[in-house]
Amino acid sequence: MEHTEPHSTEPEMANRQGAAQRPNGAQGKICQFKLVLLGESAVGKSSLVLRFVKGQFHEYQESTIGAAFLTQTVCLDDTTVKFEIWDTAGQERYHSLAPMYYRGAQAAIVVYDITNQDTFGRAKTWVKELQRQASPTIVIALAGNKQDLANKRMVEYEEAQTYAEENGLLFMETSAKTALNVNDIFLAIAKKLPKYDQNQGQSGQGQGRRLAEGDQGAKTPGNCCK
Amino acid sequence: MTLSVFVNPELQFSATTFFAKQHKGETCGANGLPLTPNSIILFGKAQFLKTLKNPYLCEYLDIIRGKHERTIVVSQFCGKPLSEYLGKKIFSDSDIIKIAFQLLTALSVLHKNKIVHRNLSTESILVQNSGDIKLFNYGFHYMTNNGQLVSFPIIKLSYAAPEIYLSPLKSHIANSKMDIWSVGIILVELILNKSLWSSLKLSQKIRKILSFYQCGTSVFEKIAREHNCFDVYQNLSAELKHIIEQCLQIDPRSRPTCEDLLKNEIFKEFKVVQRNNPSKVCEKYQIFTLKELYHWWKLAGGDIILELKKQGLIRSSPPILSMPCLVMLDGTVLGQGRNPATLYESKIVQMSLDTLYQRFKHIHLNFCYPLLHCKSDIIAAFDPPHYDTKALPLIIKEKDPEYQFHRIILFRRLLHGYPYTRDMIRKEVEKDIPPLLRGEIWAALLDIQPDYEEIYAMIDKETVTTTDRQIEVDIPRCHQYNELLSSSEGHIKLRRILKAWVHQNTQYVYWQGLDSLTAPFLYLNFNDEAKAFACLSEFVPKYVHKFFLKDNSAVIKEYLAKFSQLIAYHDPELANHLCDINFYPELFAIPWFLTVFSHVFPLYKILHVWDNLLSGDSSFPLHIGLSVLTQLRSKLLTAGFNDCILLFSDLPEVDIEKSINYSNDTFKNTPRSITTREHQNEEYYKTTEYDISGVTLNDLTRERCPRISATDVVDMIRNTPEKILLVDIRNPLQYSRCSVRNSINIPCSSVTYGEHSIENLGQYAQILKNSGDKIVIVIGSTDTDLELFPKFLLNCNIKKVCVLHGGFNILISVTPTVLVSQKFEA
Repeated sequence: MEHTEPHSTEPEMANRQGAAQRPNGAQGKICQFKLVLLGESAVGKSSLVLRFVKGQFHEYQESTIGAAFLTQTVCLDDTTVKFEIWDTAGQERYHSLAPMYYRGAQAAIVVYDITNQDTFGRAKTWVKELQRQASPTIVIALAGNKQDLANKRMVEYEEAQTYAEENGLLFMETSAKTALNVNDIFLAIAKKLPKYDQNQGQSGQGQGRRLAEGDQGAKTPGNCCK
Repeated sequence: MTLSVFVNPELQFSATTFFAKQHKGETCGANGLPLTPNSIILFGKAQFLKTLKNPYLCEYLDIIRGKHERTIVVSQFCGKPLSEYLGKKIFSDSDIIKIAFQLLTALSVLHKNKIVHRNLSTESILVQNSGDIKLFNYGFHYMTNNGQLVSFPIIKLSYAAPEIYLSPLKSHIANSKMDIWSVGIILVELILNKSLWSSLKLSQKIRKILSFYQCGTSVFEKIAREHNCFDVYQNLSAELKHIIEQCLQIDPRSRPTCEDLLKNEIFKEFKVVQRNNPSKVCEKYQIFTLKELYHWWKLAGGDIILELKKQGLIRSSPPILSMPCLVMLDGTVLGQGRNPATLYESKIVQMSLDTLYQRFKHIHLNFCYPLLHCKSDIIAAFDPPHYDTKALPLIIKEKDPEYQFHRIILFRRLLHGYPYTRDMIRKEVEKDIPPLLRGEIWAALLDIQPDYEEIYAMIDKETVTTTDRQIEVDIPRCHQYNELLSSSEGHIKLRRILKAWVHQNTQYVYWQGLDSLTAPFLYLNFNDEAKAFACLSEFVPKYVHKFFLKDNSAVIKEYLAKFSQLIAYHDPELANHLCDINFYPELFAIPWFLTVFSHVFPLYKILHVWDNLLSGDSSFPLHIGLSVLTQLRSKLLTAGFNDCILLFSDLPEVDIEKSINYSNDTFKNTPRSITTREHQNEEYYKTTEYDISGVTLNDLTRERCPRISATDVVDMIRNTPEKILLVDIRNPLQYSRCSVRNSINIPCSSVTYGEHSIENLGQYAQILKNSGDKIVIVIGSTDTDLELFPKFLLNCNIKKVCVLHGGFNILISVTPTVLVSQKFEA
């Protein structure tokens, strides 16, 4: 079995969360989840991932073309949750690639920019698409990013919250810049995900196969997305 | 011996330095991004000044950003300021008229380019040995955005027009008529042969100038009387007096423009001289200019910052002394500010060229005039031996002053002869490209047409479109570590080029990544937006044809499938591993190829990669991709899916020279048809019936080994038979009836495909195992399976396996024939 330790910051990350440590090194449950980030371009998807995975923030985070893949592990009570994160390109034109990434995903974060009403509209479209096309059990979180620019807000907190409640989404306003709610939203997702032990079975390679199957699914409609 | 070529009083330069204004308090703009530092804005704005070339203007050479918003301006500097001659030399009327003419000519060039000097004085007029003048430091007010980017005033008290004192301190207006007033004052000083109001204090000077508003008569007369020179005024020729009085009009609207003044009769004699040299044809070809000399000076160890430090203009103080005493929550900084007196240094530091002279003194004069066309061996033999750097790495070659001297001299010549020297340029580029001339050389390689400026000028770059928002959010994220591209000018230019491109290419749409693709061209042609656009426009059809179609998936998928095949062709082991773990190029290589690595590598690496790309064709990026994989090979071979993808999401440092050498190598050693695509631009490829066509995307994604064309196969059979291994997989009967010369027969039906072991091939196993670098060409026919056998070879890690497109039958019609019949031979 292959279990990858993605980053050296991982234990520190767990401590920061105050989540329970594995007792005396004994292995608790290990769960692997595929998570995808969706949303209009320049709302801060890559920045949220970078903050969550590396604790960094780049003012001039470059645009994502195609998609990027990163992993991060969080500890939740006695469970180790490993996120395999697909960070997608935001431009509408790259839309045709998106199913390849969200198919088979157990969780999605749909991101919008609180200073731009259009990006909220686009987020709603993504939620609709996920509800229609993605796995029916997918956990969807809505992130109103750039909370540090609250004085230039164009999307009211209440408006987004109401929308999230109506659609059964987790909702937080986040700031990749100040790190507000970034770890929290990932933890909230981890808590909501059904946990079964993958300690014995799945390996990292399995995820790849799943993605590949999804890819073929794209060519044969009616496979798993109906 | 050639030193005289370099030692020239006009080929001298100096540096000046000052600090740009620092942002106070809040450092975020409305978009949440940090405010662009003023020194960066200034850096971008000042670039334009480098384009101004006129015999009466000192040429701007460089803008350097130092620490803490320091800006250093490097400019031509020769001769002595006019102020030093005042009162020491007698100026005749004709001297004064000549200076006036040259000054007005210089200013008219500035005004035409919407630049107002606004800081004009006798100090910024340099008198040459010849008696001609050169205007210096004329761009100071312009580059600081009319003084807005610095915290000190830019003004020459005695020369400033009265309206400057009337306008509010921070109004930052600039009107070309302000310079006309200053011209008037300068001419008065020359005529009176003394500097005006030299004994007055600051406030008194201002009062004097403002008092002109009450002056009912001529300003000139008033000044002359105040300086006890009324007699000079009275005796002055009427024409000169008239010109000065026109310049010194209180109302700026009444002052004439430079053009108006130059029409005056007294300048007639100079204008004739000027008209004698009207066209480019008559222009003397300079083997190099000051710009090149400055470049070589830097390579030879010249260091502007070091010189300024030596001269005490840059003083370093312990960091603790520049720490603020108090920082407020809103970011306001209190205490330990910079001493306002150090914000601006009036001193001009002349740079010594001795080291360069020393370094270049042995350069043979012949090298300044390299022979381009020489049919005589005798003459060619007279050329001194070439400067040998072949063994040196590129990075050293680019830093070697002598080598760059040779390269630049040669390329300048060749570029001067473009487009007639196109082929010679292409040939020279195969060695390397001198960085200083890269922009022009790239434009030549891309066959930019001479009317590119007019074309660009006519394109709509302003009308609002639906793409604007995307362009707007992408630009502030595009190579922002680069000073030029992060400057406001850079953003404006990039936006205009992208909008022009989208407008001009209605068959295409803006895909994210096009910004990165444009960046290298803008970086190299920052002062020639039209050329950057022209380069992009030529680059796209040549290298990324159809990649920016609204629905580009077929094009991209084909390209990626070819990439998989190329990996299989050169590195079966890696290809098999990546295939086993389901690690497809779709997952990582889209940004590589869509942006030809411009989204993947930093600019300095892209430049070197593209230097080579521009000598290759649209398959070259595949080879670069392969070279990147090759560098990561050992890691990839031991990694699983997740580790592989993590590796590519955060690409490790790639040794670019290694990568380039490797891709040049595979590019040269891969038959063209291996990378032939249905979607490649036919304009750049000649095709015949023996070439590959009609391969569907389905075929392509299914076939793991590439196809090869009959053209390439026949060519190799005839010319390089030792480099190929022809494997005929038809049945023995067909083979014996007729086959390709020197081919071996392994009937595909005779092979056990169950396990991947080359030994299954029996007697031929050894031949294939030892095929080494030979190209293994599988020849079948319509009734043989063309996938199973090549795939088997691939799985056995046999290199360079490809399948003849069209099978055996396509070779039948080839004349002269390459076929033999075993029966007859037996």
